[in-house]
Amino acid sequence: MIQEFKKIWKQYAITMLWLLGLLWPLLGIHPDGTISFKQTITVWLYILSGTFICFIIYIINSSGNLKFFTEPVVNTSEKLNNMVQNMPSWIWKSVLLIGAVLYPLLTGRYPTDVAINVLLYICLGLGLYVVAGLAGMLDLGHIAFYGVGAYTYAILNVRYGIGFWVCFPLAGLSACIAGCIVGYPTLRMRGDYLAIVTLGFGEIVRIILNNWMSLTNGPNGILGVKTIGILRPVMENGFSFEIFWVKKLEYFYYFALVLAILTIIAVTRINFSRIGRALEAIREDETAAELMGVNTFYYKLLAYAMGAVFAGFAGALFAARMKFVSPESFTFLESVMVLSMVVLGGMSSIPGIILGVIALIVLPEVFRELESYRMLVFGLTMIIMMLFRPSGLIAAKRKKMMEKKS
Amino acid sequence: MDSFIQQLINGITLGGIYALIALGYTMVYGVIQLINFAHGEFFAAGGYVGVIFLSFFTGLGYMETHPIFCLTASFALAMMYCAYLAIGVEKIAYKPLRKEARLAALLSALGVSIFLSNGLMLTQGVYDKAYPSELFQGGFSFGIITIGYLQVLIVCLTGALLVALNLLVFKTKIGMAMRATAQDKTMSALVAIGSNKIISLTFGIGAGLAAAAGIMVGLYYGSVRYDMGFLPGIKAFSAAVLGGIGNITGAMLGGLIIGMVEIFGAGYISGEYKDVFAFIILIGVLYFKPTGIMGENIDDTRV
Amino acid sequence: MSKKNFSIMAMALLTTLFIISAASAESLKIGSMSPLTGPYASDGTDIKNGVLTAIEVFQKQEGGIPGYDKIELFPQDDVCDPRNAVAAANKLINLKVVGVIGAYCSSCTIPASETLDEAKIVMITPASTNEQVTDRGLPYMFRMCGRDDDQAPAAAKFMKESLNAKTIFIIDDKTTYSQGLADGVSKNCKALGMNVVTHDHVNQGDKDFSAVLTKVKAANPDILYMSLQGYSPAALMSIQAKRMGIASQIVTQDAVFQPKFMEVAKEASEGVYLTYGFTDPTTPEYKAFEQIYVPKYGKIAAYATYAYDSTIALLKAIKAAGSTDPDKIKAELMKLDFNGASKHVKFKENGDSGSSYIAFKVVKGEFVPYWEPTKGLIK
Repeated sequence: MIQEFKKIWKQYAITMLWLLGLLWPLLGIHPDGTISFKQTITVWLYILSGTFICFIIYIINSSGNLKFFTEPVVNTSEKLNNMVQNMPSWIWKSVLLIGAVLYPLLTGRYPTDVAINVLLYICLGLGLYVVAGLAGMLDLGHIAFYGVGAYTYAILNVRYGIGFWVCFPLAGLSACIAGCIVGYPTLRMRGDYLAIVTLGFGEIVRIILNNWMSLTNGPNGILGVKTIGILRPVMENGFSFEIFWVKKLEYFYYFALVLAILTIIAVTRINFSRIGRALEAIREDETAAELMGVNTFYYKLLAYAMGAVFAGFAGALFAARMKFVSPESFTFLESVMVLSMVVLGGMSSIPGIILGVIALIVLPEVFRELESYRMLVFGLTMIIMMLFRPSGLIAAKRKKMMEKKS
Repeated sequence: MDSFIQQLINGITLGGIYALIALGYTMVYGVIQLINFAHGEFFAAGGYVGVIFLSFFTGLGYMETHPIFCLTASFALAMMYCAYLAIGVEKIAYKPLRKEARLAALLSALGVSIFLSNGLMLTQGVYDKAYPSELFQGGFSFGIITIGYLQVLIVCLTGALLVALNLLVFKTKIGMAMRATAQDKTMSALVAIGSNKIISLTFGIGAGLAAAAGIMVGLYYGSVRYDMGFLPGIKAFSAAVLGGIGNITGAMLGGLIIGMVEIFGAGYISGEYKDVFAFIILIGVLYFKPTGIMGENIDDTRV
Repeated sequence: MSKKNFSIMAMALLTTLFIISAASAESLKIGSMSPLTGPYASDGTDIKNGVLTAIEVFQKQEGGIPGYDKIELFPQDDVCDPRNAVAAANKLINLKVVGVIGAYCSSCTIPASETLDEAKIVMITPASTNEQVTDRGLPYMFRMCGRDDDQAPAAAKFMKESLNAKTIFIIDDKTTYSQGLADGVSKNCKALGMNVVTHDHVNQGDKDFSAVLTKVKAANPDILYMSLQGYSPAALMSIQAKRMGIASQIVTQDAVFQPKFMEVAKEASEGVYLTYGFTDPTTPEYKAFEQIYVPKYGKIAAYATYAYDSTIALLKAIKAAGSTDPDKIKAELMKLDFNGASKHVKFKENGDSGSSYIAFKVVKGEFVPYWEPTKGLIK
């Protein structure tokens, strides 16, 4: 066993020694002119023992010695897989849907709250998918559209008392306009130049939100945003309607769920439509696409606009849910997180992106117990996930589906 | 008028700092086309290791007797440390992803960035660390205008590094190998250039430059902080892109422009919108020259 | 991985969350919320440490709370981000905590308190000074620190009466806290007849203030009022102001009350004035706090003391109420009247606990009480 994995062992040993060399200056050199090794060695031994266990499990697993344990698991999952595969897709879809509908009833407040975040970020992630995944434009400022949507609702609601259902399409519209404004000057740029310009736009939006006191109330944020109100028929005293304010988290969850499902359906339709194919052609080779008669200018702008609209909708819902918006929610790091969700999900597969969103929203929550070590472990997990699944959790399926059809 | 000249000096200094970070950024990008989000963290690590060694020497009492030696040693050690860190990071987190989609490495780089800044926070504490001595704190005074020694040092160092890097890249064998690797890894392997070694070397040099910038910033501002790499990282990235990413002189130019715009924006228009001005200039330049000021025309394979 | 496996994985991830949120019994659970990572991790850690010290002291002095083996703290990280704060609040609700100490940023306290209010959980903030925190009329929201609209008049009065200032240059760094305070100071100074030369802004995370300081130098005001969130930018600005040779006196606020300020700014910190709630370091309550805190966590910072007092107040109220019923705890909190480490604690009807802002001066690397609004100079 040791012989087989000699190379991996060597790499592991070198990595650990490297880490020791890295840690010592940080922990072992003191400002009073003394040098110590105890603390460094202790920390290092902790890391060593932790990684050693993981490493041994990894080695045993890949040498096949864990078969007695993994085999039944793999077998059952494969059986399950086959079973599901043979079922028509509507069955597992409805199972998933029922699961999603029952979720808040089965769990508590906190899981529901996290699930709402997941659903909102699914809308964001799928919006970005249209821009980055389909059209291949690297967008580092997507959160700006989310912010525009959220602030549109918050301002219209608090200043002018307009209800959610009127503001909701307006939030989408204003995000769409913002998307076109960003999209227009960026159409000539490619790759990293595009990335930096979108980053710039994202930051500009955030800085404006933070500074335009008369409109956005600056860093104080906008307080007292009304939640969603729906007209509920009342049977007492004859038939009439009354406004029912959605205050409970569970009800909110269903709104987010409906929005997420609509977004998933819409993006799936775009994916397999003429627009989707045109965008993919642009991603693969813009010059060739133009040659074949694809209006690249129009389609790229359309991709931006569509991506922004989904983000705007999600933003309006976010504002309604938090009842408060402030610029802190729309930082560059959030944009990067959304992009990470898309990349982690595999860039061009919708279920993959959903999984990526779930992973990157739920993991920091799972790591909450670690307190200040939380983000450290999160960063490490991101690296490891990328190393083990470099093409994303679920790689794109388009090719296979095309083969199947033909 | 006096304050205009003072602002000009401020702008050149800030621009020099951005340029110093951007030089490393652009070198790494030039060779492997990776937006290295972790570059800002190498910068912060350099600042921290610098303060660790400087206070260590102060604690030993060498600082008073051999100040120049201590400073040089701290610079050298911090640069070596960061090179060591960066080479390791490249081997662990970037190399396995080199053949994959470019965005995979981007995400991995983001993970490294989060990991390193939190690692610094956990090992060095959540509080700012002060630089030990008041090195070079004085300055020249011309009436109301003051120029600190450190400001002069920053600008000189940036200029010297610019010349040195240009010489390295365009006049030496190593530089030739770097350019070859940047253009075509397979082809350069065929002519016996070890692309792995060259990439490691580039990462090492880039991180070393970041470490030097980290110490300069620490000395100039008086303290370092675990999250100090984030914002300058973004600014330096913008500077590198503005100048034409991959181009060393361009990075310097970009850094200076961004620094100037920020200072003059804050000084004469409005402090809270200064970053907006910097980004508007950036967008404006890229709109008319989509590959940056000194960037060459990119062919489709590069993007 | 197939598309179908995806649903299994998704479910698994979400279920983990559910399992993890279950916790052990037989202990009294309280929560804390503060940024433990991100740019404000230092203040957030101070808060967490203050709460931990309070629990230790309370168990030692009062022998814990009858019916519970121990008092357990669940510190939550909110990264100073509203979304994270609400998630943390919901997590604490799920953990069935009795009360929450936090949060740090006003922009986190406001949405998190709305959430906690739905579950009727008492929240005491040790650090959010924005008026809106208690002005919304939430029944379970309390505040241990002062309010921006208390601090601003005190600062203005100090600059007018003690420093005889005529011109003042205000800089804030565009956070809820710093801007609110700066606006208040500006208004109060104008009311007292001082001339506010400029009210300028810098951004959070800036290191280079040379542009705005050049303006200060050109304007040459009597006072440079720095309203910056945290000691870190304040130290940077003092250093750069000194280097530029700015002669104006520097006045700043309570967020800078952290001994690290002098450590970083060194000579540049000498002679800086700041307003902060009066704390008597000779009282036995303060000594009890100091004895436990200092050996474990180092020098005492601004928010650690408030966090300590908030926790003590909460635990006292729970003990007096003899139950975890929120309304009884609230009633007991309103009745509280005791000497805390930072001040005499007595909550007002809206949840505020009043404040006693005085001016401190940095002398030889220490914060020394310098001036009091009623009595003038302290000798």
